[in-house]
Amino acid sequence: MTNTVVLGVIGADCHAVGNKILDYAFSKAGFNVVNIGVLSSQEEFISAAEETGAKAMIISSLYGHGEIDCRGLREKCDEAGLNDMLLYVGGNLVVGKRDWDEVKQKFLAMGFNRVYPPGSDPEQGIRDLRDDLKLPKPE
Amino acid sequence: MELKNKKLSMDEFLRIRQEVLKQWPTGEGIDLEANVAYLKQIPEHKSFPAKLRWAKENGITLAQPRAGVALIEEHIELLNFLDKEGGADLLPSTIDSYTRQNKYNECERGITESRREGRSLLNGFPGVNHGVHGCKKVFEAVNLPLQARHGTPDARLLSEIIHAAGWTSNEGGGISYNIPYAKKVSLEKTITDWQYCDRLVGYYEEQGISINREPFGPLTGTLVPPSMSNAVAIIEALLAAEQGVKNITVGYGQCGNIVQDVAAIRALEEQCNEYLTAFGYKNVYLTTVFHQWMGGFPQDESKAFGVISLGAIAASLAGATKVIVKTPHEAYGVPTKEANAQGIRTTKMVLNLLREQKLPLSVQQINESRMIKAETQCIIDKVLELGDGDLAVGTVRGFEAGVLDIPFAPSVYNAGKMMPARDNDGAIRYLDFGNIPFSDDIKAFNRNKLEERAEFEGREVDFKMTIDDVYAVSKGNLIGRPEVETEAAKSIKKYLYKTE
Repeated sequence: MTNTVVLGVIGADCHAVGNKILDYAFSKAGFNVVNIGVLSSQEEFISAAEETGAKAMIISSLYGHGEIDCRGLREKCDEAGLNDMLLYVGGNLVVGKRDWDEVKQKFLAMGFNRVYPPGSDPEQGIRDLRDDLKLPKPE
Repeated sequence: MELKNKKLSMDEFLRIRQEVLKQWPTGEGIDLEANVAYLKQIPEHKSFPAKLRWAKENGITLAQPRAGVALIEEHIELLNFLDKEGGADLLPSTIDSYTRQNKYNECERGITESRREGRSLLNGFPGVNHGVHGCKKVFEAVNLPLQARHGTPDARLLSEIIHAAGWTSNEGGGISYNIPYAKKVSLEKTITDWQYCDRLVGYYEEQGISINREPFGPLTGTLVPPSMSNAVAIIEALLAAEQGVKNITVGYGQCGNIVQDVAAIRALEEQCNEYLTAFGYKNVYLTTVFHQWMGGFPQDESKAFGVISLGAIAASLAGATKVIVKTPHEAYGVPTKEANAQGIRTTKMVLNLLREQKLPLSVQQINESRMIKAETQCIIDKVLELGDGDLAVGTVRGFEAGVLDIPFAPSVYNAGKMMPARDNDGAIRYLDFGNIPFSDDIKAFNRNKLEERAEFEGREVDFKMTIDDVYAVSKGNLIGRPEVETEAAKSIKKYLYKTE
């Protein structure tokens, strides 16, 4: 389905609060949210997308290991035949307070379509996703 | 093995131990008798229980940071920096998240990459991979007591390693390191595994070595009502005492309302001592830890210092034995060592200013304390009833029944039916009781408090308040008032109230 998204927190990260809020916000905005929750591996994101026909993965990482956890996800999606999968990632993506542009470029180079800094508004992600999926603007 | 709140026999303990030590190669050859000899020669100024006792007897609140990086040399440098430049009274080693999930192969990769890149790619110190040898190297290179702080459902091997290396305190428990930190690990498993960690400490106690244990007080750190976190802390203290632990620090995460925070810590210490006595556990030395604000922080560093200072004030006025310190980088994740030291210095300045000051008991504080204790007792009584008198069994059934229920927890074993929100003074109350077994009086008290706020704000008492409160501190306020017109508040309101 064109408005189905897989939502989850990647790796060994158990930050659950933002995950519950994003679920709420994306569902309210009319997306069909498949929330695989915290502590989710790349494989779990991929099989959830395969099972549900999702067009996008909304990935959170709050604990700093995002760099290791996200590496190779684009290649794994391609291998699984999920060729045009939209990959969004956001949170505290690396260990420590570092230059945001550098972090963003790193993740774009890894094949992510959108990269969000800590404290991003869920609405921004929702707007971007509507654009990227060419969905009609809400009333 | 059937779950029971009963001290493990030495035979059972040693049988499990053989399996535990095989979980990773660094477990091989850890020798209890050799550890006893090593632990006996630790100087007093590096013993966690000794320093806590000194602080409590002298009415001092100690400051302890969180800190940990991937490599041994960098970790030592970090800890000594926090001692010398920050003025830390106690040192931590925060353990990385892969270790917490027992993913030691991933740790190995993180260590290798951190070495190659010259910066830590792990969010903490991988204690199991570094083994007794590495952990000892850290302990011998610092001049303060050392504690492992983590979030590990199965911390048996980690506990073996850190205590063997001279670290005389371990944070965690079968509830507090499961429900907020795991998705699908059963409570039967984590309570059993933490009985092992506690029994290990009990063994050392029997050999005349005092080791401190600290149940993790704040749980999800997100609007947890004090009576719920106090109930969990008291249960974990009792479970630890059964295994022979004699030095326990019960914890509590700052709510933000000073009266409630002070009352909560005092209620926690008094009530925990009452339960320890009632259960027949003698000679348990009990201290308290106050955690500075565990929820979302403002990104602006100056505002973050404000939050840190409020936490230091509440910790000091409550008379907590120690305070766990936040940093101005909190909104961004793992702090630099400089930012971490700034957090400690800010905290210690406030602690010093308040050292000679006591907050006189007020009617409000006495009432708040009484209410927290009454709520806590309702929860613990029901847990014991559900367990037919067995606290461990009752805890499992209590979570099944939603009698114990932690807001915003990731675990599938948590009911998630209870919902909290702040009242008009910013104290945390129960908005939706779920299946929490409160008396009618207690329910009415909570409801009235929230209705006061609803009236003031001109809206209904419901979950919207909870969501507003989750974000309030990071947006600059304690209470999530509807009229706060920040961008995020606007957008959340747009979703929640369907207004522009």
